[in-house]
Amino acid sequence: MSEALQSLFVMGLSHHKAPLEVRESFALKNGDLPKALRNLQSMNGLLESMVLSTCNRLEVYGFAENKDSLTRVGRHFCEANHFDPELFEKHSYIHTNLSTLQHFVGVTAGLDSQMVGETDIQNQVKSAYDLARTSGSTGPVLNRLFERGFHAAKKARTSTGISKGNVSVGNVCVDLAERIFGKLSRSRVLLIGSGEVAELTAQALLSRGAADITVTSRSQENALALASNFGGAVLGYSDFLSHLSKFDIVISSTASKEIILNRECISGNLSSRRGRPLFLIDLAVPRDVAPEVDSLYNVFVYNLDDIARIANENLEHRRQEIEQAKLILDRQSWSIWLDVRRRYLLKSIAST
Amino acid sequence: MQARRGSGSPAFLLVALLALGYFLQSRGLYLRGLATHACPLGNGMEQIQFIAWSFVLTYLIIRLIFKLQLLGLFTSGLAAVLSFISLFPKGFDPHYWKEPGYQKLFQNPWIELHASVAIFSYGVFALLTVVSAMYLVQHSALSAKKSSAFTNFLPSISQLEMAADKLLLTGVLFLTSSVLVGSIHWFQDLNNVSFPKLFVTIAVWLLYLGLWLLHLTHRIFARKFAIACLWAFFLAMVSMSTVSGKKDTEAIFPQSLEVQGL
Repeated sequence: MSEALQSLFVMGLSHHKAPLEVRESFALKNGDLPKALRNLQSMNGLLESMVLSTCNRLEVYGFAENKDSLTRVGRHFCEANHFDPELFEKHSYIHTNLSTLQHFVGVTAGLDSQMVGETDIQNQVKSAYDLARTSGSTGPVLNRLFERGFHAAKKARTSTGISKGNVSVGNVCVDLAERIFGKLSRSRVLLIGSGEVAELTAQALLSRGAADITVTSRSQENALALASNFGGAVLGYSDFLSHLSKFDIVISSTASKEIILNRECISGNLSSRRGRPLFLIDLAVPRDVAPEVDSLYNVFVYNLDDIARIANENLEHRRQEIEQAKLILDRQSWSIWLDVRRRYLLKSIAST
Repeated sequence: MQARRGSGSPAFLLVALLALGYFLQSRGLYLRGLATHACPLGNGMEQIQFIAWSFVLTYLIIRLIFKLQLLGLFTSGLAAVLSFISLFPKGFDPHYWKEPGYQKLFQNPWIELHASVAIFSYGVFALLTVVSAMYLVQHSALSAKKSSAFTNFLPSISQLEMAADKLLLTGVLFLTSSVLVGSIHWFQDLNNVSFPKLFVTIAVWLLYLGLWLLHLTHRIFARKFAIACLWAFFLAMVSMSTVSGKKDTEAIFPQSLEVQGL
């Protein structure tokens, strides 16, 4: 009884401690998540769990039988997913008890994001939660904490101005594209892969005048669906490299573990661009664009870290709003924590 | 958003101030022209003032064609610097028209046209230098992956390169016209031609013509093109100062001035 909710935890790594090169080696595809959850469910002593995997973080939320089980979760998770446990240990963090809840609401509200105040994370957390709930990985404790946590995050977001300014990837990319090309109506955009963030970025470009969007993807079906959203064309995945010189803005967000655009293939296309600059937006983790491409003449490569850095440059203006949001989340976390703990204790008493 | 389009009140105020400065400078050059009985290009101060005047005039015309944010700010800055420099050196503005025996600055009106058009082209090249400097600021920020309110207000590198290309072509056309007009006289009066000055004039013309051809054929573009434009203007100004070195005394004797490239 004295240990009520003492073994609630979150462990993982994020952009705070793990650079992009490290995060690349801990990337989980959407298709890998059900398997990762099943592996956690099979672990002795772990009662409930959820896995959150985004470009900037990989986290396991859980509720264990006792504190001893916590020590085994990280290693079990790494072994099941073929991650390097030493590397994980070096760059990971762990929060327990109330800190878990505080961390969760901070993440969901976008306060812990690489681009503070960004709104995409809320949907990503909700998707992760839906998957865990439908697969039976979460139970009464995590369900109650997360559902009330979502409300708290929403309150912090709507009653403060933390999301004001260029805090989405799309807005930052559009601003960068305009600094390179001016009006976007004559810029040709190529979307490689069908990731959600890339789609939102293309949508932002479209809203600011880009009229010519082409989609290429390993899955022809996904490419067609995405292209129909933008009224764009579809380019065969096997052909896009030979047509690369025709595009001014290339947004890449594939789930490939290999480099898609290397120095040779980009430099080979530059001569036919007749001096026009090339803007490559790499939204993939692991990266799709080789780091050496950045040194090519008249080529501008921006990856997620670069975009986040720019988005956070206007952070100072929102500092007060962020402090206000933190206060709201702290108060809400305490309230949720006390309520969930009370319910848990009552349930424990009733069962004994 | 208004400021971004350059149509807000600060932008209007800047253009209004530039136009006022341009009017006052035109009046000053006009009064000096009345005194010298010619386009005032007889000493270093007059030449630089004329370049600054041409430069601002080019900006006022260009802004009707291109909407380049912050170009007015950069233009006013460089115009102020040029005007200040022209007033600073001691003995930079000798009153040659007050010398005994002075009649007028240019005996031949074609040479007057040649010199004034050449100096006007330098004004266009000065604006090209400003545009190139803006390009380099924006390019450096993009390469360093930095963003600020300033870089967000700067025009895009594509717009700046296109504007630079058009300015270069305009400057080359003016300078070519000047060289053509000058060459008519040079061929007629070869004995009075100063070959070092002729060489400098042709060299500056070839430098800008070559730069334009290289850009046209995409052999030089983007950052290297902007840097080349900066160097070209620097060399042109240096070459002008060497040409102007003996000019102050020669200005008193118009026949010597006729062979000057400017």
